Amino acid sequence: MTPSLTAMLLVAAAAALACRLAGFAAMRYLPRSHRLDAALRATPLAVMSGITALALAAGGLTEALALGTATALALWTRNDVGAAIGGVAVAALLRAFGG
Amino acid sequence: MPPRAPFGLAGFRRGLRVGLAMALPILVYGLAFGIVAAQAGMGAGMAMAYSATVFSGSAQLAAVSVMQSGQATLWAIAATVLVMNARYLLFGATLQPWLSQAGTGRSLISLLFLGDANWIATMKVIDAGEEDRAYLLGTGVPLLVVWLAGTLAGAVFGAILPDPKALGADLMLPAFAASMMAVMVKAPASLVPVAIGAGAALAVGAWAGAGWGIVAAGIAGGGFAAATAKDTGKGTGK
Repeated sequence: MTPSLTAMLLVAAAAALACRLAGFAAMRYLPRSHRLDAALRATPLAVMSGITALALAAGGLTEALALGTATALALWTRNDVGAAIGGVAVAALLRAFGG
Repeated sequence: MPPRAPFGLAGFRRGLRVGLAMALPILVYGLAFGIVAAQAGMGAGMAMAYSATVFSGSAQLAAVSVMQSGQATLWAIAATVLVMNARYLLFGATLQPWLSQAGTGRSLISLLFLGDANWIATMKVIDAGEEDRAYLLGTGVPLLVVWLAGTLAGAVFGAILPDPKALGADLMLPAFAASMMAVMVKAPASLVPVAIGAGAALAVGAWAGAGWGIVAAGIAGGGFAAATAKDTGKGTGK
């Protein structure tokens, strides 16, 4: 029997909450060290790079041009949010013309 | 007991400005979920409840696809959300040294508003020396509001709205990641975790899916940095 939407909602919400809190809570029990600090500094860059690489691998020329635009705009203007919006706009424009 | 770190209106406003700038693509992404939820037979109220409590596009879309398979169990829903959101374990862990200094209650409330885009934005400002811990909450509030607005609009008006993918909604997160990464790379050494993260994501993502690819990127990049770190005798203090 398929569970009700409400039951599935409660389970999904509990799982999402657990993911949000568990890493934060676990860190309280890890002693600080120079190795942990180095890992914490490197992790965001690695995750951002991973997200970008996966999108490039899954996409085609349109996606590559959009992300390339976002990166170039960010390097040029140092305005990362504006650069990201510019990249998304390029994707929308190219897709409007069949890209 | 050391004094609490700042958690004030000024930091909240700084985060709010960035959150508002990121809001439009999140709105479109929310539309996408609302449309899919309506197609799966959810009413607007139920779709909004999912968006309010799960607040993760990838996990919500995956959970709905499990529901549509006709073989949904509570275990399958839990496993799907846990797998899709495993990266949040890393997000919470990386925020903890900085965010926990605001106190437990403020930290937990802030974590309820944590998403991919505002985690990236917050890690960037932590790197730049942001002291006010309300920044994360400030980025998250507008994102949750537009996520809910998009869900509602998609669920109610989905049939007459344009395809969110045509508007580039699927590229919102990668574009934020690419642009913020470009700004955060300040020295050649920063390219090491970038290269390791990309390699690990592609290697693992190819057979385990994008969710695990992102987790692998973080673990590999962080693990390599930990293994090769030299003790300079000073911590980050963050």
